[in-house]
Amino acid sequence: MRIESAAAYDELRRRAREEAAAHRQEILVCCGTGCLANGSMRVAEAFSKELQARGLTAEVGTFTKRTGCHGFCQRGPLVVIQPAGVLYTQVKPKDVPEICEKTVAGGTVIPRLLYKNPADKKRVEHYAEVPFYANQTRVAMRNIGKIDPTDITDAVAHDAWAGLVKAMLEMTPEQVIGEIERSGLRGRGGAGFVTARKWRACRNAEGERKFVVCNGDEGDPGAFKDRSIMEGDPHSVLEGIVIGAWAVGAHEGYIYVRDEYPLAVVNLTVAIEQARARGFLGKNILGTGFDFDVTISRGGGAFVCGESSALMRSLEGKVGEPRQKYVHATDKGLFDRPTVLNNVETWADVGAILLHGADWFAGMGTEKSKGAKAFSLVGKVKNTGLIELPMGMTLRDIVYGIGGGIIDDRPFKAVQTGGPSGGCVPEALLDLPVDYERLTEAGSMMGSGGMIVMDDRTCMVDVARYFLSFLIEESCGKCVPCREGLKQMLVIYDDLVAGRGKPGDIERIETLAAGMQLGSLCELGKSAPNPVLSTLRYFRSEYEAHIFARACPAGMCRDLTAYEIVPELCNGCHLCFKACPADAITGETKKVHTIHQEKCISCGACYDVCPTAGAVRFFPKNGAREREAV
Amino acid sequence: MVTLTIDGRVAKVPAGATVLDAARAIGVRIPTLCQHEALEPWGGCRLCLVDVTKKEWRGWQKMVVSCMFPAEDGLAVATATERVVATRKVVLDLLLARCPDTPLVQRLAHEHGIERTSYQPNPEPTDCVLCGLCTRVCDSIGVSAIATVDRGAGKEVAPPFHQPPPDCIGCLACAEVCPTDCIPYQTSDSARSIWGKTFTMVRCPHCGRAHITREQAAFYAGRGGVPESYFETCDACKRTQMAKTFTSLSAVR
Amino acid sequence: MNGRTCVDTAPLDEILTRYPASEAALIQVLQDVHRAYHYLPCDVLVKVAEALEVPLAKVFSVGTFYKAFSLVPQGRTIVRVCTGTACHIRGADRLIEEFERELKIKPGETTADMGFTVKTVNCVGACAMAPVVIVGETYHGGAEPAKVAKYIAEKEADHEN
Ligand SMILES: Cc1cc2nc3c(=O)[nH]c(=O)nc-3n(C[C@H](O)[C@H](O)[C@H](O)COP(=O)(O)O)c2cc1C
Ligand code: SF4
Ligand code: SF4
Ligand code: SF4
Ligand code: SF4
Ligand code: FES
Ligand code: FES
Ligand code: FES
Repeated sequence: MRIESAAAYDELRRRAREEAAAHRQEILVCCGTGCLANGSMRVAEAFSKELQARGLTAEVGTFTKRTGCHGFCQRGPLVVIQPAGVLYTQVKPKDVPEICEKTVAGGTVIPRLLYKNPADKKRVEHYAEVPFYANQTRVAMRNIGKIDPTDITDAVAHDAWAGLVKAMLEMTPEQVIGEIERSGLRGRGGAGFVTARKWRACRNAEGERKFVVCNGDEGDPGAFKDRSIMEGDPHSVLEGIVIGAWAVGAHEGYIYVRDEYPLAVVNLTVAIEQARARGFLGKNILGTGFDFDVTISRGGGAFVCGESSALMRSLEGKVGEPRQKYVHATDKGLFDRPTVLNNVETWADVGAILLHGADWFAGMGTEKSKGAKAFSLVGKVKNTGLIELPMGMTLRDIVYGIGGGIIDDRPFKAVQTGGPSGGCVPEALLDLPVDYERLTEAGSMMGSGGMIVMDDRTCMVDVARYFLSFLIEESCGKCVPCREGLKQMLVIYDDLVAGRGKPGDIERIETLAAGMQLGSLCELGKSAPNPVLSTLRYFRSEYEAHIFARACPAGMCRDLTAYEIVPELCNGCHLCFKACPADAITGETKKVHTIHQEKCISCGACYDVCPTAGAVRFFPKNGAREREAV
Repeated sequence: MVTLTIDGRVAKVPAGATVLDAARAIGVRIPTLCQHEALEPWGGCRLCLVDVTKKEWRGWQKMVVSCMFPAEDGLAVATATERVVATRKVVLDLLLARCPDTPLVQRLAHEHGIERTSYQPNPEPTDCVLCGLCTRVCDSIGVSAIATVDRGAGKEVAPPFHQPPPDCIGCLACAEVCPTDCIPYQTSDSARSIWGKTFTMVRCPHCGRAHITREQAAFYAGRGGVPESYFETCDACKRTQMAKTFTSLSAVR
Repeated sequence: MNGRTCVDTAPLDEILTRYPASEAALIQVLQDVHRAYHYLPCDVLVKVAEALEVPLAKVFSVGTFYKAFSLVPQGRTIVRVCTGTACHIRGADRLIEEFERELKIKPGETTADMGFTVKTVNCVGACAMAPVVIVGETYHGGAEPAKVAKYIAEKEADHEN
C-alpha cells in the first residue's frame, strides 16, 4: 500500500506497532558485520529452530529478529531478549537451547552469558545497565539494534519515515531548511560544515537538474559508524536523503558506498525497494507529485574518494582526482550540476530532527556543536565498539567511563581522532569536551568519529609514520606537495624509526609540513601533516629519544629495541616459547627461559603474552647498556 | 571588465579571466608548470600560488592557485608574500628531488635559490613532472590515447597496458606541449613513431612534403565530415592554392 | 598485449546489459567484471571500452587507480589483512609477517598454485575486533599470528572440496 497522507502513515504505524506488540517476547540477534564474523547467523538460525521445536513461537509469542550492530561487537555475538532487556554476550549456537529453556520459557537469567563489568567484575543483567550503553544518547543510531533492517514495517513501528511525512505534508522546503538550520546540525563526515547553509545554497542555485549525494565511503581507518548505520538502519539514511532532496529540489540521488561494505549495499537495496513500494521514494512521493530516486554506487577502493570533489568524479566514472573548488559544489558539483553532498550520519540525523524538532536536537551538545555524534571507540580500551554521545562529553568519560579504561590497566598515552587528517590528543587533555572546536584547537579534528585509544606501548613516531604510509598509498598523485611531499616525509620517518635520525630532522619535518598544508590541492594533502604535527606538539621528547638516544621509549620500533627475559622473574610457563614467531626463545616448562638475541626479531610477541609482570622486558639496542657495563 | 591589484599595481581584465591572466597582462611574472593557454587550467603543480585578500575579509588572506582563481573586482593579490615564497620553494625543492637532472626544473629551482634538493633525490630520475599537459592536450583533441596510470607516489603517464596506444594518431601534440621534452618521438619523411607506435606519413600531393600521418588524416576527416583527401595537402600548399584561386578570380573580374 | 589468454566474454555481455552505455557506469561495470573474473582481463577491458564508448586509456587509468581492481589473476582465496589504525596498533604487522612465512609470498602477491592472494586493506569496519583478517569470506576477529596456519588450513580444506 502506498502512503499518501499523514492519516495513512499513522494507520500503517499503528498496525506495525500492534503487530510488534503481538510478540510477547523478542529475541534480538545482532547480525551486524562484527557479530556475523563471530558466527551470529548460526545463532539466529538455532533460535528459529529451537523456538519452533519447543512450540514457543505460538505459545509465548516469541520471535527472533536479526538486527544491525548493537555497537558492542567485541563481545559478539550479542543476543538481547525483550521486553526483559536481558543481554547475553558471546553466545554460541550450543547455548541456544539453554537460553530458550531458562530465559525465554523460564524467565531466569543465565549468569555465565551475562556481561562482566571489568571495573568491578560484576555481571550485569540488563542491556541498559551496561556502562557501555548507559551513557549513550542515540540520534543517528536511534533504531539500530532495535529493528530488522530488512523490514520497513518494523522500521515504521519505530517511527521511520515519520519525519518525511511531517516535512512534505506539513511544511514548505524553506521551513525544512529553517528547521535544520535552527537545529544547528553540522556535517558528520569531515569538517563540520553547517548543513543548512549547503542546502540553502543548492536550493538557490540555478538549474533544473540537481543532485543529492550520500557519502558512505568511510575511509578513515578505525571508523565504522557509517557502516553500522547503513547496515543496521538504512531507512534513517534514505529518509534523510529524500527530505534533503525535496528541500533543495533534486530529483536524482546517489549513495556512494565503500567497496568493503557489501552488507550495507544489500540492506540499502532492500530498503530502497521497500520504500518505493510504500511511496516514500520514486515517482509521486507521498502523493505530492514530487519525484525522486536514488542509485547505489559502489566505490572503487580509494580513500581520496571520500573527499567530495573526488567522490563526484568517481560517480562520473572517472579517476578520483579532486578538483580545485573555487566554485562550490552547490553550484557546480556532480556532472557540473548543483549538488548537496552529506555524510551518512548527517543524513541519518535529518529525519529525527524533523520529527522531534530543532529544539530537541539543539538542546543537546555544546554552544557550537549540537546534537549527538557517533564514534567508534577502538584500540587499547577494554570495551571497544560503536557509541553515540551528546557533543561535549569529555575524553575521560569516554575512555574510562564507556571504554572501561585501558587494557591490562596500562598507562593511557593518547587518543587519535579524525583519522589520517586528525591528530593525537594527549593525557593532559583528557578532560577536553569533545566537539568540533575543541578537537581542532587541540590540533586534531572530528573527522569520521574514529577514536583510537593508545597506551604506553604505542610509539608516537611510529603512529605518525603509519599515517604517512597510509596516505602515500591513498594520495591521488595529482599535485606536487602531497605526492612528492608524502614520499619525502616518509623517507625522514623511515630513518627515524630505524635509528638513522639526524639533528635537524624535526625542523625539516616542520618546513615540509608547512609547505604541504599551504600548497596541496585538496584536504587530503593539506591535512596530511596533522598526525605529524600533533605528535610533534605533544610528544616531542619521543622524537628526540629516537634521534639523539636512538631509543624508542615505547619499545615498538624494532630496529631500536631488544627484549630479554629476567631469570629471577620467569616462572617457566612456556607461553613466550609458543608465541615467538622466530624461534628465538628456548627453555623447558617450569624452567627459566632465554631469548637468543641473534635470532630475535624484536616483534614483542613474548612481552605481550607473558603473564608474569616484568619477566620480559625491553631495552634500547643502542649499546648504552654495554657502555654502562664497561 | 574587472579591476584588481597585483603586488600593488592595478590590472583590468575581462570578466572570466584568472588572476594569472591578469598578472601576465601587466607583466608580473608568476612561475607556472602545468598551465597552457590552449587548455583548461588544472591546478596540479602548485607553483603559481599567490595570496589573495579583499577589504571585506578584514585582514584574512587565502592562498590560491592563480591559474584557476577568478579575477574579481577589489581583489588584492600578493605574489611574493613570505609564505607564498616559502611554499613555492618547498614545491620546487620536492620537484628537484623528483627530477634532479631536468634542466627546466633545475632552472626554476635555481631562480628560487635552490641548487641542490634538501630531500632524497629520486633513485630513478625522471624528466616527467606529471604536469598532465600531455594527457590533457590529447583529451582536448578528442583522442585520449594516453592517460595517467596508478595513483599517489607511483603515478605515471602511459598508454593503456604500457603498449603502443591503439587510439594514438601520431599528432605529436603531447610531445610538443611537454615542458620538459620528455616524450621521445621520431619523425621523418617516411615514418613517425611515438609511444612505441609507428605511423606512415602522408605526402602532400603538391610539394611532396611528409606532413601528417595517415591516422591523423583519417581522424580529422572522421571528425569534420570533410574527405580525407582534403587533409593530404599540406597547409602551405593549401595556402598557395587558395592564393592562386583568388588571383584567377580577380583576373576574371 | 601479447601472450594473453583469451577469456570467455559471456559474463561480460551479461554485465553490460545491466548498465547504460555511458562513462558514468564504468566503475560499476569494472566492479562486476572483477567479481566475475576475479581480475580485469585486458581483452575484457578492450570490450568494455568499446561498449561504453570510453577511450581505452581512460579505462586503463581507472582500472589502475582504484585499489579494488587487479590487472593480474588473483588466487582462489583472497586473504585480506587489515592494516587500519586500530589493527595496526594491535599488531597487524605480526600477522602479515606470519602470512609471509606461511605462504611464502608478500602482500600483493599470489601463491604459485594460485591458491591464495594476500592483500592488505585499510580498515574493514570491524575495528572493535582488531586485529582482523579476512580469509575468503570468513572474518577472523582478534586474530593471532599463532593461528595463521590454522586459518590457511581451514581454507585449504575448502579448496579440496
Ligand atoms: C581525504 C578526504 C577523505 C574524506 N573521507 C570522507 C568519508 O569517508 N566520509 C565522509 O562523509 N566524508 C569524508 N570527507 C569529507 C567530505 O569531503 C565532505 O566534507 C563530507 O562528506 C561532507 O558531508 P558532511 O557535511 O555531512 O560532513 C573526506 C575528506 C577528505 C579530504
Ligand atoms: S592533495 Fe593529494 S589527494 Fe589532494 S589533489 Fe593533491 S595529490 Fe591528490
Ligand atoms: S612467558 Fe614470561 S613467565 Fe612464561 S616462560 Fe616466557 S618469560 Fe617466562
Ligand atoms: S601523439 Fe598520440 S598520444 Fe600524443 S597527443 Fe597525439 S594522439 Fe595523443
Ligand atoms: S610527459 Fe611531459 S607533459 Fe606529460 S605529464 Fe610528464 S612532464 Fe607533463
Ligand atoms: S556487529 Fe554485533 S554488536 Fe556490532
Ligand atoms: S600553473 Fe597553476 S597549478 Fe600549475
Ligand atoms: S582498523 Fe582494522 S578493521 Fe578497522
